Amino acid sequence: MIPLSTLGSWWNALFHRTRVDDDVETELRFHIDAHAQQLVDSGIPQADAERISRVEFGRADVQKEKYREAIGLRPLEEIGGDVRYGLHSLYRKRGSSLVAILSLALGIGATTAIFSLIWATLLHPFPYADADRIVNTNLVDEAQSATPLPFAIEPAEFDSLQKAHSIESVLGFFLNGLTETGTDIPQDVQAAYVTGNMSSFLGVSPRLGRSIQPFDAPDGQPSSNVVVLSYKFWEQRYNGDPKIVGKLLQLNHSNYTIIGVMPRRFTFTESIGNADVYIPWGSNRSPDLIPWIKLRRGIGLATANAELQSLLIQFRRETPYLFPPSSKLRVEPIIAPYVQRNAGTLLLLFGSVVLLLLIGCVNCSILLLARGEARKHELAIRTAIGGSRFRIVRQLFIESLVISAAGAAIGVALSFWLARLPLQLMPQAFPQESAITINLPVLLFSIGLVFFTSLVFGLYPALRLSRPNLSQVIQSTSRTTVTQSNRFTLNVLIGLQITLTFLLLGAAATSIAAFLKITSTQLGYDPRNVLIVGLPLKREMNPNWGARASYISRVREAISGLPGVVSVAVSQRDIPPGPSLGPIGLQVSFEISGSRSQQVQLAAISLVSPEYFSTLKIPLLKGRLWDQSENQRGDFVAVVNQTLAQRYWPIGDAIGHQIRIDSLTNDQAPLVAASPQSRQQREIIGVVADSRNDGLDHPPAPAIYVPYTALMEDYTQLIVHTANQPLASIKTIQAALHSANSEQRMIVVADDLEASLPRQPIWALHRVFTVLFSFFAFLALALALVGLASTLAFAVAQRTRELGIRMALGAQRSHILWIVLQTTLSAVSGGIIVGLTLNLFTERLLRHWMPDSMSSPWMLAMVTLVFLLCATITCFPPVRRATNVDPRQTLRCE
Amino acid sequence: MNKSVDLLQGTLEILILKAVSLGPLHGYGILMRIQQISDGRLQIPQGSFYIALYRIEHKGWLKGEWGESENNRRAKFYRLTAAGRRQLESETKKWSEMTDVVQGILSATPEQI
Repeated sequence: MIPLSTLGSWWNALFHRTRVDDDVETELRFHIDAHAQQLVDSGIPQADAERISRVEFGRADVQKEKYREAIGLRPLEEIGGDVRYGLHSLYRKRGSSLVAILSLALGIGATTAIFSLIWATLLHPFPYADADRIVNTNLVDEAQSATPLPFAIEPAEFDSLQKAHSIESVLGFFLNGLTETGTDIPQDVQAAYVTGNMSSFLGVSPRLGRSIQPFDAPDGQPSSNVVVLSYKFWEQRYNGDPKIVGKLLQLNHSNYTIIGVMPRRFTFTESIGNADVYIPWGSNRSPDLIPWIKLRRGIGLATANAELQSLLIQFRRETPYLFPPSSKLRVEPIIAPYVQRNAGTLLLLFGSVVLLLLIGCVNCSILLLARGEARKHELAIRTAIGGSRFRIVRQLFIESLVISAAGAAIGVALSFWLARLPLQLMPQAFPQESAITINLPVLLFSIGLVFFTSLVFGLYPALRLSRPNLSQVIQSTSRTTVTQSNRFTLNVLIGLQITLTFLLLGAAATSIAAFLKITSTQLGYDPRNVLIVGLPLKREMNPNWGARASYISRVREAISGLPGVVSVAVSQRDIPPGPSLGPIGLQVSFEISGSRSQQVQLAAISLVSPEYFSTLKIPLLKGRLWDQSENQRGDFVAVVNQTLAQRYWPIGDAIGHQIRIDSLTNDQAPLVAASPQSRQQREIIGVVADSRNDGLDHPPAPAIYVPYTALMEDYTQLIVHTANQPLASIKTIQAALHSANSEQRMIVVADDLEASLPRQPIWALHRVFTVLFSFFAFLALALALVGLASTLAFAVAQRTRELGIRMALGAQRSHILWIVLQTTLSAVSGGIIVGLTLNLFTERLLRHWMPDSMSSPWMLAMVTLVFLLCATITCFPPVRRATNVDPRQTLRCE
Repeated sequence: MNKSVDLLQGTLEILILKAVSLGPLHGYGILMRIQQISDGRLQIPQGSFYIALYRIEHKGWLKGEWGESENNRRAKFYRLTAAGRRQLESETKKWSEMTDVVQGILSATPEQI
């Protein structure tokens, strides 16, 4: 252990320098005077005594140095000196230092930004305690579709789940749409019924009041009427009233006491839907529960999965109606969907910013080498008079460290702004609860980057410059031309930089091409002036199939009679252009009568009214649409799209064939009403044109349209085509609904179908790709051009005298031009060739990570052209300086 | 640094500690006391003396405090700390063992082998 006194003297020597120096000097003076006095006492004259004493002892400032050396501060002082010298020499060459620092700042800023984005959205997105051990379970029915179902279980099953070996605790919840009553217009409130362990399971402290506790939901008794508000609901409904705790909220005609407000970052449970309020769960509130499972420490997913599958088999025996026979459980960490969706994107972005950082580093290396060339003489003299190589390397390395520290300081500030960009461009693609902050890991990461970058760009020049060829350098003085090997190194660096830049440019070109493809998609329907509203249906109001069908029809007619409304269609679920990102397409199997095919035939089933096609302007190609009476009956008819017709009847006519859709049944589910013969044979009566129904990024899937009355759930949608701006009609539609049925709630699914296109996740994803890649590629291009320009300028400056002599001897300008450009041109073309070759490889990688990207040779050609153009413009000034050399002047100034 | 200086520095440190253990002194006084005890046979190089003194103080074996000298001048007086006393004891022991061994070797006669 270091004694306190040691630390004390270091502290004083470093931070109270003057006082310590004074002390040393006073002590020394006392010593000298005492010695002189002794000499006087022994008979030597006063003046002589003082002189002798002083000579014996030496100078006071030397003593101060000795003091510092004695307490071991010398290395520190030397490093301090190196830092000061580094700063000074950076300041002396302001221009190139600024270029070096900015090159690094851009690279470090971008890398830190993407790192903090990855940190915030993939590594630490959730505010929950032990979020990495929380898993989500979904039921996957292999027979039906790729759509996972929520794993809803009954309370008894919930209890046995809690007793499983691999499980530490289970949080149960269920979402339910409630209505706020007691106000003028009933408002939609999404409630989450949560078991009493919410507080301990999630470990999030409320912003106000308290969270739900076990005593709110006692076993075997009805749970208490208390409610915790989400931040968003508190802000919107109560304007963030700080005294809200204790007040009442009336939901479905019963009063709930507000006991707390959750913090802004808490939006549980976004995996299913956002809740406005949290209410303690009780069997009086909902019969089922969806579990969120926290695994025990050290339990792997495979172990937990095996145990849960056996539990599922047991549960299926107890409650067969909850679980389809061939379904399995899919257990995955709550972050899994985001990893699946974004990990590739983010890694690709990270790769590209690392490239950018490397380009910045190469730039710094070039500048340091060029600067070192001018300092060769100084370094050679230092070596000649005995300066150690270690000290020279250390000094040069500290100079690079100073550059990268300055770069990092600017870069981190930059990254804070840059990291928010993707979240703003594509909010729905990331966990809502992720928050981007400058935190310790991010700062540590950027400090690590400082050392990494200074090693990368600083070490090579330092090692190289610290071993000068003494005799050569000192003899040649400043008349030297640049040594051949150094010029070679610079050209290799330039080539490297251009290769890296081309990789980035290639990635940018690919993503731009993919984005253009998305934006220019033929939709197949007309999204202009179209809005979609969702209508949750109350079971008790529409008890049977007939009542529900006529209720929907009545509501549709009420809306279609409104002024400004052109047409209204019913569509149970479809929201054009359909699903995007991930396997949520609702393709189900169907049978064709008389077909012997063993293959599973899949199609998207749309439950719509006949007005659907005219409302969205989807043309009828052949046959007819079903009429009103067929629509009321729901059975026996179907319309298909062109893709389906062509796939199954490539020759001949689809019309007249019989098909059967097995899944059009309610399976005794109380919430679903099916027509009497919904799963029987249907005749294809018409073929309509294709429209996008499987997302913007996929071609239209085979589709079957059947009357919506075939299968009605507790929810339906109206697609409204308005004469003018659809937003303006929302109020009138709401009023009309209210007068038709005062308890009918309405959800605006899309307030403007055309405007919602850019909000499609796939659209946003490609936009983020395009914006970021183009931005990074642009930066890379700029950095590479700076590197190119500085190399050329340096080469010209070093060879001015040689060029002067050549011109004096009669060299033509074109010849001079050729001499200057020769090596650089070979470096540039080498870089381009390697870059283009590598692009062929990376494109395969890009296609793997980037959904729907495509090869774009013409884009690459354009990129090459742009690069050559920029390079020519950049090279112009130094080349001009070279050809304008005046031989008389250059020769005279030596 | 060559070896003989190292040895001298080590030795000098014990001498300084010993001199101060006899009573608090200022730097010049320590030098004088060592020379006086050695009867002037030991000439201490003035430059290395202070380096040794500073290092000992830095290690916490001596504590320096400002006070008044006999002719009323500001001077830094050093006194032994507890750690310094322990160091002096162990160094003295080491030193006497060392001199015993060296003495034994130097006084060896052919009969002993």
